[in-house]
Amino acid sequence: MFGNFDFEVIIRSIPYLFMTGMVFTVKLTIFASFFGVILGTLLALMRLSGLWPLPQLAAGYVNLVRSLPLLLVIFWFFFLIPFVAQSIVGSERPITIDPFISALITFTLFEAAYFSEIMRAGIQSLSKGQVSAGYATGLNYRQVMRYVVLPQAFRNMLPILLTQTIVLFQDTSLVYVLSLNDFLGIAGKIGQRDGRLTEMYLFAAVTYFVISFLASTAVRRLNSRIAIIR
Amino acid sequence: MTNTMTMTSSGATSIPAGHVIDIKGVSKWYTPEFQVLKNCTTKVDKGEVVVVCGPSGSGKSTLIKCVNALEPFQDGEIAVTGISLKDKSTNLPRLRSKVGMVFQHFELFPHLSITDNLCLAQQKVLDRSRSEAVAKANKLLVRVGLESQAAKFPGQLSGGQQQRVAIARALAMDPIAMLFDEPTSALDPEMVSEVLDVMVELAHEGMTMMVVTHEMGFARKVADRVIFMDRGEIVEDAPKEDFFGKPRTERAQQFLSKILAH
Repeated sequence: MFGNFDFEVIIRSIPYLFMTGMVFTVKLTIFASFFGVILGTLLALMRLSGLWPLPQLAAGYVNLVRSLPLLLVIFWFFFLIPFVAQSIVGSERPITIDPFISALITFTLFEAAYFSEIMRAGIQSLSKGQVSAGYATGLNYRQVMRYVVLPQAFRNMLPILLTQTIVLFQDTSLVYVLSLNDFLGIAGKIGQRDGRLTEMYLFAAVTYFVISFLASTAVRRLNSRIAIIR
Repeated sequence: MTNTMTMTSSGATSIPAGHVIDIKGVSKWYTPEFQVLKNCTTKVDKGEVVVVCGPSGSGKSTLIKCVNALEPFQDGEIAVTGISLKDKSTNLPRLRSKVGMVFQHFELFPHLSITDNLCLAQQKVLDRSRSEAVAKANKLLVRVGLESQAAKFPGQLSGGQQQRVAIARALAMDPIAMLFDEPTSALDPEMVSEVLDVMVELAHEGMTMMVVTHEMGFARKVADRVIFMDRGEIVEDAPKEDFFGKPRTERAQQFLSKILAH
């Protein structure tokens, strides 16, 4: 069976696969995680604020996003937003949005829901005494959050945030439905063009596995180091 | 201009003589059925050391947390230097910054070095420069005997050392009064005295203090008054000599005999 394998096609396409495809995938992962953590932290703070209606809004958002298939949201966002933007701006034609930006916004909004639950757990894991101590020294709410609570919550939750980021790294391959040139998308296109789908998908699987596995191992190491510091 | 000067920089000197802490008829409920504080009234004068004792669950920690507005209360009134906590216009963070608080479990910030623990609020609340704050921090660390630990993190210190840092952190704000919430209860026995020594020294220097503690030795040594609480009530509020000599109530007598027996 492997006699029919053409590894040549893989070698030939490596520069395009990595310089374009993997760069897209990694960029999308990093930016979406970065903005997702920021938005997720804001959602977590809203959820814990106790100021009506902020907790209800945040909880509603998180529950809504978690009840929708990611694929559907990607699809919906990419094809609907141009029309929404059109009606807002009032232009004659649907506004074209850069596919990378569209994917980035989708993943950010989607991941924020998951990150917010992680950050909420991180904030709640701190003793109430830490918050009291912050207030007792005269800090206000914003300062207590910024200098006392969030740095600790973030540090405690860093391994879980990174694990979620690894999941996101794999999930970004779903942008194939938009025919974007991410790593998997390029592998598929080359495979189809050259009639070598098996080789390309196998190679893509190995690449995703190696990167995710190495990253997970690194996170485990980090986790044990954080555990020692604590 | 002169007003703001006295507000921000001069600490103890701008406080009018008289009560630093005024507690009037304070009641607090956790649920409509469960009342933790029942009509508590007392005061702490400038330079006075008041020890609050009582069996666990008697509401003494809750009362001291109310003084710093860390716990809300439904009824009554607390004023610190004449400023009511309940008044909507009161700037609570500013008021809290003038009252130091030491907690049972130290509550140092574990992600910050000892120096940064002492500097954070100085810089963010009092707007002191970094060098000013560090200088103050170093001075206070010398005072509690921990100048060599400045660069370490709280997790690297013993409980007694952490609590001394916590006291220094509170003092860094130049407080007009200090609240202690069972400062030695979480400590190993051999570390209790190093913390009490710092507190005794503070008391001798004339610091206004409200101390929740079971350390009756400390109370005998430096307290001016002792408050005895039971089931949310202030049962006894008397000068030290009267309290230890002849407690009026049976509950206080029982408590004293139990705590002094061992």
